[in-house]
Amino acid sequence: MKNFQILFKIKLVVVAIALIFSCSKDDPDAVNQQEFISNVVLKIQSSDGSKQTVDWDLSEQNSQAINLKANSDYTVEISFLNTSDPSAIENITLEVIEEAEEHQVFYGFAGVSVNVSSASDDTKDGSRGVLIKSVWNADSAGSGIARVYLIHQPTDFNATTREEMGGFNDVAVDIPITITD
Amino acid sequence: MFRPLFQFFLLFLSGFNLIYGQSCNLSINGTISDLHDGSPIIGALVKIEGTNFFSQTDFDGHYQIQGICNGKYELTIQHPECPTVKKKINLQTSQVYNFDLEHHINELEEIILSENRISNLRKSVQEVSLDIGEINSYGSNTMVEALSYISGASVLKTGNGIAKPAIHGMYGSRVGIVTDDFRQHDQEWGPDHAPNIDFNSFETIQLIKGAAALKYGGDTPGGLIILSSNRKKLKDSLFGNSNLILESNGKGGKITSRLEKTYVNGFFVNGQLTAKRYGDFHAPNYVLSNTGLKEADFSIKLGKDKITSGWKLNYSNYNIETAILKSAHIGNIEDLFYALSSNEPRIIESFTYEINAPKQKGKHQKISFNYFSLFQNQTKLEFGYNFQVNDRKEFDVRRGGRTEIPAIDLLLKTHNLVGSLSGIKFNDWNFELGVNGLFQDNFSNPTTGIKRLIPDYLKYEAGIYFLGNFQKTNTFLWEWGLRMDRIFIDAKKYYDLSVWEERNYATQYSDFEMQKIGNQILTNPRLNYLNFSAQTGISSKISNQLKLKASYVLSQRAPNASELFSDGLHQSIAAIEYGSLSLQKEISHKLLISFSKEEGDLFWSFEPFISKTFDYIYIEPTRLKQTIRGAFPVWEYNATDVFLSGADFTSSFRFNNQFKFDLGISYTYAQDLLNDRPLILMPPLNTFQKFKFTPKKGRWDVELIHHLNASQKRFPDSNFQFNLIQEGQLVSQTVDISTPPPGFQRLDVYFSINLKSNNNLKSQIRVIAQNLTNSEYRDYLNRMRFYSADLGRNFQIQLNFKY
Repeated sequence: MKNFQILFKIKLVVVAIALIFSCSKDDPDAVNQQEFISNVVLKIQSSDGSKQTVDWDLSEQNSQAINLKANSDYTVEISFLNTSDPSAIENITLEVIEEAEEHQVFYGFAGVSVNVSSASDDTKDGSRGVLIKSVWNADSAGSGIARVYLIHQPTDFNATTREEMGGFNDVAVDIPITITD
Repeated sequence: MFRPLFQFFLLFLSGFNLIYGQSCNLSINGTISDLHDGSPIIGALVKIEGTNFFSQTDFDGHYQIQGICNGKYELTIQHPECPTVKKKINLQTSQVYNFDLEHHINELEEIILSENRISNLRKSVQEVSLDIGEINSYGSNTMVEALSYISGASVLKTGNGIAKPAIHGMYGSRVGIVTDDFRQHDQEWGPDHAPNIDFNSFETIQLIKGAAALKYGGDTPGGLIILSSNRKKLKDSLFGNSNLILESNGKGGKITSRLEKTYVNGFFVNGQLTAKRYGDFHAPNYVLSNTGLKEADFSIKLGKDKITSGWKLNYSNYNIETAILKSAHIGNIEDLFYALSSNEPRIIESFTYEINAPKQKGKHQKISFNYFSLFQNQTKLEFGYNFQVNDRKEFDVRRGGRTEIPAIDLLLKTHNLVGSLSGIKFNDWNFELGVNGLFQDNFSNPTTGIKRLIPDYLKYEAGIYFLGNFQKTNTFLWEWGLRMDRIFIDAKKYYDLSVWEERNYATQYSDFEMQKIGNQILTNPRLNYLNFSAQTGISSKISNQLKLKASYVLSQRAPNASELFSDGLHQSIAAIEYGSLSLQKEISHKLLISFSKEEGDLFWSFEPFISKTFDYIYIEPTRLKQTIRGAFPVWEYNATDVFLSGADFTSSFRFNNQFKFDLGISYTYAQDLLNDRPLILMPPLNTFQKFKFTPKKGRWDVELIHHLNASQKRFPDSNFQFNLIQEGQLVSQTVDISTPPPGFQRLDVYFSINLKSNNNLKSQIRVIAQNLTNSEYRDYLNRMRFYSADLGRNFQIQLNFKY
């Protein structure tokens, strides 16, 4: 009799568990990836007004080369975009500008020597230019790469090398660059 | 205002009734039975105190007393083998009073004792038991850290607050944790995921090397860690303990308190609380910025243990928030290179209690119910149900005010149902049969705004096991076990279309495809596994001093969710991790032997093992992948065959009553057979030595503990080459994440004073210095070794009170 009661109790528990187990799962929603950057775009304008746009695209993992003339000034405006949904292109640059105090754009060059300074209409955090808009001037002819960085929370904003600057990379892409006389 | 008046009126009425209702023809009767099995108690004396009325129970345990006047009385029930029971009654009409007496209490205590004795003898595998109080007294912050005092066990760490157990070089899903008879289910796959358990709510911790406890699963070739509570004593008592720890490193502490009430009828209830708070810890020469933690846990356990039947209901709630070293949050392989080439962490700030991103938050809740019933022939029926909810959130430093939004947000719910029939005896044979059902639901919250690392999935498990042992004499035992598990995983996962095609899944697993959404594809991987596990072993007393144990274990493990589905960036090692759908179950054979000898003041044990695992699942870097954040190494899960072997040696020698010396040595050799190279992350040769002095007089003792870790010379090459811009030129550099750090030594000192209070309970004050010499070292098994040194000197004061 007692055993029978126990068996009955077990049956009850089994039925209860079966009820819990029989649930099914809905299809998960696709993640709307935020702060995702798919393109780094450089708009380059020479002092004589000629324009060039270089677009580093994640899906192709490359871009056209930057072509500059030595010893002349170019204004370079950088923007970060999320184009993964072509119907709703996001401009991430606005987020960077909003958090200027935590960000720094940095350019490293290999094979060529280019001087970069903050443009007069650059985004500023105090007196520091974030280099969203910068002025480039190349020393001499040659070819190489420009490594474009967006650095989050650098430990030293005014450092001259990537290593000394600290922080971590939100963006780091290589763009070929050619400088002619 | 009218209420007291009304009450007075009622009182008056009832008094009136009493005076005029006096009658002396009332009777009481009832049955006195055994609390544990309900059998009648014969010859118990039922007396009405202050009168001459009494009755003795007959063969059916029945008694009757007649001709009693109404009024208030006190009944006493006496029996030579039972404690006396008293009950106040207010008799107005004839009544039935039944009593359950605590019969032959001594006999029952004996059963409990012998159960423990038998379980000690009945094991053919190496097992180490520790008392939780002992763990606490070593000032260990995590359960897992306490394991470093057991040779053969080691600890995988991510900084100071996150520790995972490893046994014989195996960790993660290869080591099972059992709490209150149920397997723990949290996100145990990640190397930076510590088990979400507060060990303070348990009383003993057992470490079983090898998957010998088939009752709890056959998929843990490393071994099992079993946390449990002691069986309750059948007596009325209230006791508890409190433990306060204050530490200089981290400028924080921990408080834990436990209170337990037991009753002679077997009922018990206990409650326990733990709280921890630490700020930034420090290495010998700098602050480890953002390494604080806070934790708050509680548990309630209650039940009734009537020896022949009983039940238990447990609830526990665990909450932790751990900061992760800020310098470990890096962008890409270039950042990793800079971190590795720097002697110090890149970010050193002043001490703070603040916990900022990167950080982890974990919440684990568990509720379980167990019931058992012992039949006349000592066969025991048990069943239990357990429900666990694990909520895990990981936070990264993010843009646009999203730092407060978790980057990983997982909710894992697990239902577990177990049933078993044990103590089935035929002559010298003893059998146990059991079943296990599990249902698990993982939900990965999409509002993180970051691609899911682990997808949504449902997991079903059904298992059956059969264990037996043969014991004719006290000197020889043979035991064996068989287990079969069926596992079904039903996942819903988005893949990037490019990845789905690149990995050839599009042709191999086209039946998993559901629909294409933009550049992603929703898939429904449905995976089935059938696992067989087995164990057999002997335990033999060769002489009075020398014991031999040997066991063979076959374990099979289905790949876990991370091994199958991982898909994304792991920030702290700048790695992109990919799981693999084509992984098969892992099959491991392990042979363990143990010799131990106790001869007067000398004890030693020697425990070698060898194992071979087919389709051993591991992760390795395969290539570099360019992302918008620069180059990242891609780590992919893969399978190979591995050979592991090693030995643990423990010894203890008592020179005299004052001096005692303990020694532990452990070594593991691990080789990847298909690729002909060592396995990654294996503990190097390590030893500990303990020297204890207790004076002839005085209530204090002092212990000196020395840890020595050799440098791991056997490791695979997982280094990368990448191009760094230096002085205006591209220079190829090696990112050396493979070379283990040099060996190290650590010295700890423990000084204890025992206080005796008047009721003979021991309380203790301990003063501890850890890493006394403040030596700077890095531990190969600590993932933060890439960024910082391990902890510097720590002073600790502990107050342990028992009451």
